[in-house]
Amino acid sequence: MWLLIRRGTLTWCLLLGWAACGQAAEPTAADLEFFETKVRPLLVTHCYDCHSEAKKIQGNLRLDLASGWLEGGDSGPAIVPGEPDNSPLILAIRYTGSDIEMPPKGKLPAEDIQLLEEWVKRGAPAPSPAAPQPSKKRELDLTAARQFWAYRPLAAPAIPQSAAVTKSHSAIDHFVVLRLEQAQLRLNPPADKATLLRRLTFDLHGLPPTPDEITSFIADTTSDATEKLVDRLLDSPRFGERWGRHWLDIVRYGESLTLRGFILPEAWRYRDYVIDHFNNDRPYDQFLREQIAGDLLPHTDLPQQQRQLIATTFLTLGNTNLEEQDKAQLDMDVVDEQLDTIGKAFLAQTIGCARCHDHKFDPIPTRDYYALAGILRNSQALTHANVSQWMEVPLPLPPEMEAQFAQQATQLAEKQAALNAVKQQVAALKEQLTPGSSSPGVIPANTLAGIVVDDVQAKKIGDWKTSQVIKPYVEQGYLHDDNSGKGDKTLTFAPQLPANGKYEVRLAYSPGDSRSRKVPVTIFSADGEREILVDQQETPPINGKFLSLGTYQFEVTGQSFVLIANAGTQGHVTADAVLFIPQQPVPQVATSDSEKPASTPTAQDPALVAQLTARQDELKQLTADLTDWQRSTAKRPMVMTLVERPQITDTAVHIRGSVHTLGETVPRGFLQVVTYNTPPQLPPQHSGRLELAQWLTTPENPLPARVMVNRVWHWLFGQGLVRTPDNFGTTGEAPSHPELLDHLALRFQKNGWSTKQLIREIVLSQTYQQASTESQRGLQADPENRLLWRMNRKRLEAEALRDTLLAISGQLEFSMGGSLVPPTTSSDFGLQLNSPRRSVYLPVLRNSIPELFEAFDGADPSLVVGRRNVSTVAPQALFFLNHPFVSEQAQAAAKRLLETPLSSSTERLTHAYLRTLGRNPIPTEQQLFLAMLEQAPSTPAAQQQAWNTVFHLLFAGVDFRYRD
Amino acid sequence: MNNSTHLFSRRDFLNSTGCGFGALAFSALATQHSRAESPLTLPQPHFAPRAKRVIFLFMQGGVSHVDSYDYKPQLQQLDGQKLAFEDSRQKANTGQGASSQRIMQPLWKFSQHGQSGRWASDLFPEMNRHLDQLCFLQGMHTEGVAHGPATLFLHCGAANFIRPSMGSWVLYGLGTENQNLPGFVSISPSSGNGGNRNYGPAFLPAKYQGTPLGKAGSPAHNATLRNLSNAELSPKEQRRQLDLLQQLNAEQKTRYAHDTELDAALESYELAWKMQQSAPDVFDLGQETAATQALYGIGEAATDNFGRQCLMARRLCESGVRYIQVTYGDNTANPAWDQHSNLPKHADHALAVDKPIAGLLQDLQQRGLLEDTIVWWGSEFGRTPYAEKNGTGRDHNPEGFTVWLAGGGFKPGFSYGATDEFGHRAISGKVHMHDLHATILHQLGLDHERLTYNYAGRNFRLTDVYGSVVHDVLDGANPQS
Repeated sequence: MWLLIRRGTLTWCLLLGWAACGQAAEPTAADLEFFETKVRPLLVTHCYDCHSEAKKIQGNLRLDLASGWLEGGDSGPAIVPGEPDNSPLILAIRYTGSDIEMPPKGKLPAEDIQLLEEWVKRGAPAPSPAAPQPSKKRELDLTAARQFWAYRPLAAPAIPQSAAVTKSHSAIDHFVVLRLEQAQLRLNPPADKATLLRRLTFDLHGLPPTPDEITSFIADTTSDATEKLVDRLLDSPRFGERWGRHWLDIVRYGESLTLRGFILPEAWRYRDYVIDHFNNDRPYDQFLREQIAGDLLPHTDLPQQQRQLIATTFLTLGNTNLEEQDKAQLDMDVVDEQLDTIGKAFLAQTIGCARCHDHKFDPIPTRDYYALAGILRNSQALTHANVSQWMEVPLPLPPEMEAQFAQQATQLAEKQAALNAVKQQVAALKEQLTPGSSSPGVIPANTLAGIVVDDVQAKKIGDWKTSQVIKPYVEQGYLHDDNSGKGDKTLTFAPQLPANGKYEVRLAYSPGDSRSRKVPVTIFSADGEREILVDQQETPPINGKFLSLGTYQFEVTGQSFVLIANAGTQGHVTADAVLFIPQQPVPQVATSDSEKPASTPTAQDPALVAQLTARQDELKQLTADLTDWQRSTAKRPMVMTLVERPQITDTAVHIRGSVHTLGETVPRGFLQVVTYNTPPQLPPQHSGRLELAQWLTTPENPLPARVMVNRVWHWLFGQGLVRTPDNFGTTGEAPSHPELLDHLALRFQKNGWSTKQLIREIVLSQTYQQASTESQRGLQADPENRLLWRMNRKRLEAEALRDTLLAISGQLEFSMGGSLVPPTTSSDFGLQLNSPRRSVYLPVLRNSIPELFEAFDGADPSLVVGRRNVSTVAPQALFFLNHPFVSEQAQAAAKRLLETPLSSSTERLTHAYLRTLGRNPIPTEQQLFLAMLEQAPSTPAAQQQAWNTVFHLLFAGVDFRYRD
Repeated sequence: MNNSTHLFSRRDFLNSTGCGFGALAFSALATQHSRAESPLTLPQPHFAPRAKRVIFLFMQGGVSHVDSYDYKPQLQQLDGQKLAFEDSRQKANTGQGASSQRIMQPLWKFSQHGQSGRWASDLFPEMNRHLDQLCFLQGMHTEGVAHGPATLFLHCGAANFIRPSMGSWVLYGLGTENQNLPGFVSISPSSGNGGNRNYGPAFLPAKYQGTPLGKAGSPAHNATLRNLSNAELSPKEQRRQLDLLQQLNAEQKTRYAHDTELDAALESYELAWKMQQSAPDVFDLGQETAATQALYGIGEAATDNFGRQCLMARRLCESGVRYIQVTYGDNTANPAWDQHSNLPKHADHALAVDKPIAGLLQDLQQRGLLEDTIVWWGSEFGRTPYAEKNGTGRDHNPEGFTVWLAGGGFKPGFSYGATDEFGHRAISGKVHMHDLHATILHQLGLDHERLTYNYAGRNFRLTDVYGSVVHDVLDGANPQS
């Protein structure tokens, strides 16, 4: 069946002590009869299906026992004897819209509710059970919990000696060979040099070796040839691109949100930071501290300050549902997601399990969860609106650049002021020229910018009066509510928008002393809905007529309207028109006053007309200048991060994870089970993130080093020493070589947490360099290769497949860093960005994952993915057979090959094999291809076609997808 | 190695024929592949299923139940009056309780229909002729008052956590009956409000991923699977290349004789080839008679697009696809049925779906498919009985709404549950979205509490720790678990 059954699970419930519970007062015989005849039948009928020993116990609440309802379930006591109004059970059955309503299928009849109320009022009498029931309260036994391998302190194991090891074996090999020996196995012979080169180049760079590299490595017979190769690979910037991508899998890195496809325009800085980290081989403990609290760490120079701040983007990368309306819940959802990620990524602990109840398998009580949550809760990740918004702060810059951006801001203000001044001149001139301007007041709609919805076009609910008493007004007058029927009247202004995009919304109303000071005006847009209270006693600031309600994104087929209501108002509510002014060029709609002819100017005043024309030309010029200037000036760099909240608080336990049922407040703190010495004190005036970062990376905490060492092993071997790299809990797998794991973890710490040093030691071992070939003995004794009698054959990741195709075709570009998302992109729906750059630089758009990444198990950018799936399914074959990208690369590779000076088909084929598979063709392969090539006519077109096919088949073949 | 996953069995015919093929002709071998996976190798349901597959007609944006199927005469009588309601959005935003709202009467006339005498408005006149076949859940309620959360909750049983979608769970539980087609297809899915997460496998293996066929906002007649044909090669030429490829693959395979992943890769090419041959036939609606096309409204401007989607659903259903979702929606933040203002616009959407859905029901019935196919019609939530902000439309309402089910052992001509006298909140026969998920799984022979997947240290379910099967809506012939 498909139920996965876990082996060797140590249930930590065994580690928990039991404590006795309290007793209730003795009930009278009459009370008991009342309970048995009236109350128990109700409980049996309506409650026991979900709250009794015999059926099931939902929410940990039993209603078949007095201790059950007195002690209660996850939400605390269900009944307070004598106090029905304070008893959650009674509140739930009253169905008054509280958070819990019971029974779930519908409300009980009133008489039944009364019976239960009366019973509680009487003190909830019930027969006492024959034997006291154990309480559910559990306590954590740290000593017992730390017997589990993952929580044991790191211990330096002796390097095992055996007859089977020789001088050429490294310390790593000693551990492996000993285990193999015990199973009567041995390491495979070393891989041949070409295989080793291809293996190392893919593992360290995610790219194939070039034919030149193959030739020179094979020719290098010096004893340290491999060491030189490894050092060369580690020193190349390609290394950080490869290993940075590994890390991005762990931290659910994405550059957009599923919800509405919002682009996260600053997320790429974090990706570049990660690549830079691996290339510069900065200490891993520092790397973790920066990601948790980089904004709070001290710094000695600006680059460090920038780097540390960018690192905190890590905390904000969750694929959050910003549209959640319950903002308290949303804040907590963010914290839950951060904790879940920190737990899995840094500690390989499924902390998230303790959100609703004490962890069922690992020693993580709910209190510990909320102690950690309390720390993160003190940092603000979102600003709230209907659709909440992530936080961006300015990236600190060198003083001269700061000055430059300050100057830019001033220039912008100046340019806008100049523009507005000319606009007013134009308006004034138009006013003079327009017929009827002597009776000032009628503003023709066609003189206004954008899409005009006049009051006559508004949908009216209730009785609205038209008036022309106070001028000016747009077209034929304005509407008012007659200061009556408050709450009964609304106006809906719905424009016909020409295109999706951003529009500034302006409201025209008729101001005056009799007007309401709080008119609720709601803008419905793709950004959600926003209510603004307009003071209609104030004169509108724009030309005395218009009030800007802000700029919003509108979608043609979505909700796009402004609703004006008179609910809760005192005084007249007026409305004249609503303008939707596009903020981007829009087809068929004039965006500026100057493009629209005003009403026919009077022929009598040619001087004024000339003046107007001149001003309008100037306006056009200034508008164009401003647009150009904005386009040419650099945007102030920002960082996606979070900020400390002004009020520092502890967080209460959220019962069953709900923000609306809070339990006891828990002082901020850390996971007890991996706290070995006195943890840092949490200052009352700071969030505690800095201390969290320190606690996490203290050398006494064995988890970060063990977890990272295991990840590195996994990325090199295709499976970790612990094969569940994100779960070192009791439901994960135990390590195959626990001593080796600790040996490497301690070396990692001692070598200044250097990732490159760790990789170097591993790849220079014979364990890593052995062949991947099959052996009967090995397959029989250890089919899963847990003991490492051979190198695992690894499928190339989606990124490596794509980069390799581009490298072979000669198209791959090696420029580094920056964002490929065009700056004005508002959503990732259907966004496919083609670029010849390495895959790590392709934006990770959560709604538009490139096909190749979908087909070949790219990491889900919303989850922590320490181990990617390796699936083999038909869509992959379809991709290689039919996707134009593959045939394009085959063509380019063939063209490149035919331009290379080679003399025969055999030579060309060898070259194609070296380039594609890093080896020579075997005789059968050569025969098959040469037979095919011989049939092709010798015309250049036919030759090109034939070689296209060669490359296409080499790409589609299974060897291409694997590294041996 | 890692969780190697296959669309087909690991039957290792390569071993049975000896290692390596040399120059064996692959076209001959291809016939062996047609047995790829017999139904015997499918995962077994927990108990005898009443239905084999699901067609979910997703009315994205929120159809107004009080204007369609939840008849509340009170709304007519009290139209325009202000009453206190506990508004879900306001409660979520502010925690605030009751507020004054203006009752808005249904804009469509209600009358009784069929033998069951069921009340329904004339919003869906064609569907009204099939009311005796439908099983209505009138006491639905769900989570999430905005589209994003509620849509994800509808599909994945969770609003904010990353969880597998229902179709992925069903495919994981039951497998697929047709190896040449994906087992879970989403026709014209929306990019918005959860997008691919609504047909994504999350932490389930990738093979349980739903396959999108077309997308919302694009004409359905263009919808097909990706990479199904080669732009440059004739089928004959491509088969010749494929044979060469398989010879190379067989050669490369000899060095790793016991590697089942490699076997799978080789088989995947044959399977891909068969998909190329047979799938386009399934997608070709031109193979249907003019009468059938007309039944779905194909050829009429208003109904052509959704008619094609529905007819495609029936063809996929016949071809053994396990879970088919048909979306009537779009990619905006305020999808199709989301009439916050201008409620009369519901009529346009109703016109577009009414005839195609009625046609689908009739067609499934005629072909005997309704017997073991569950048709599920519904939205992510309903709408309020009062005008939003006293305007011309209705706001979202997750506290009470209506869905219907047809076939698959749901009681025909039956109604279950009720909302209050205004249609605002479900008060009796309440069915939470988790309960609906549990009940549909039950009809497919799956116990929602036992359909679990171990991920990150614990067993996950579609229904989290909630949900119970609503046995009252299942007909007598249904085997109880």
